[in-house]
Amino acid sequence: MNDQHDDADTLGLHFFGSMTASISHELKNALAIINENGGLLGDLAMLMEKGRPLEPERLKTLSGNIRRQVQRADDIIRRLNRFAHSAQEPAATSDVREIFEFTIALAARLATMKGVTMTIAPGPPVQFETRLFQLENLLWLCLKHLFVLTEGNQTVEFAVADAGAEVLIGLRFGEGLPVEEIGARVMREGQSLLTVFQAELQVDASLLQLKIPKKRSF
Amino acid sequence: MSEKVLLIDDEQDFLEVMSERMKNRDIDVTTASSAKDALSLVANESYDAIILDLQMPEMDGLQTLEKLKAINPDLQVILLTGHATVEKGVQAMKLGALDVIEKPADIQVLTEKIKKAHARKIILVEKETEAKIRSILSSKAW
Repeated sequence: MNDQHDDADTLGLHFFGSMTASISHELKNALAIINENGGLLGDLAMLMEKGRPLEPERLKTLSGNIRRQVQRADDIIRRLNRFAHSAQEPAATSDVREIFEFTIALAARLATMKGVTMTIAPGPPVQFETRLFQLENLLWLCLKHLFVLTEGNQTVEFAVADAGAEVLIGLRFGEGLPVEEIGARVMREGQSLLTVFQAELQVDASLLQLKIPKKRSF
Repeated sequence: MSEKVLLIDDEQDFLEVMSERMKNRDIDVTTASSAKDALSLVANESYDAIILDLQMPEMDGLQTLEKLKAINPDLQVILLTGHATVEKGVQAMKLGALDVIEKPADIQVLTEKIKKAHARKIILVEKETEAKIRSILSSKAW
């Protein structure tokens, strides 16, 4: 079991790397827009010195642009902070839907790049004890292989159900995706994580399902 | 003569503000928010420089660069990126990019690169014209 935990940790490191790389890229985009808006303010001031009139509305627009991007950057940093903390948190009872929401937010930029739309099926909250980071990692693995295999314009719907002693987590993919192949890749790469979760992975047509016992050793 | 530039980025806010700053510097700028739009513009128009975002939806910067070069191998493409890895940078240069600049970019640096791209394009056009003249001269029995 220790070896599986070590492998799961290595996998976690890859996950952490992928997410922080994506987040830093997103942050750079917000900074670039702030930088250009600030630069444009300087340009306009210089042009005003040369006699070109400057409308107050123009300044209001630029100030609004900067505020919007600062807000965007702040959201990104909050997400990064929550993600970083999830890596060090011990196992705790959490609502799976909230973990879906957070994983979707983490992967949103990469999903947009690949033309994938992610949604969550409606339903009541499903609580179970897990290490947040490990479940985020397992969900990310499924998404990662979807992103590799998709040719764009795809959908994935996350669903969760309480099945008594087990929690059933499902990812329903849009038509035309090689779900069997996604499942095989998740099994191959995520073997250690699946073992840590004592999870069973099944593929049924367009559905990839994870059956996770509620009572496990951590 | 002002430089003619095509600016490609999926961030609309970035396109608007960057193109205004370029216009303030007498650069004739056209914008495209997708690789698809950019490719159709390049097929019909000539540009001195193309500023291309490395990461875009549908088709990423490197794929777009490859397609742009397939349309016109002489295009002078400068890649703008949020965070370039050395590997991506090398790949871009191998595919014929003129330069790779990290965001947030310094407009002075970018303007200089655009001027460099323009100068390179002039040299390429002159060489092409010279080759055409040579070919005509050698094929005619004067």
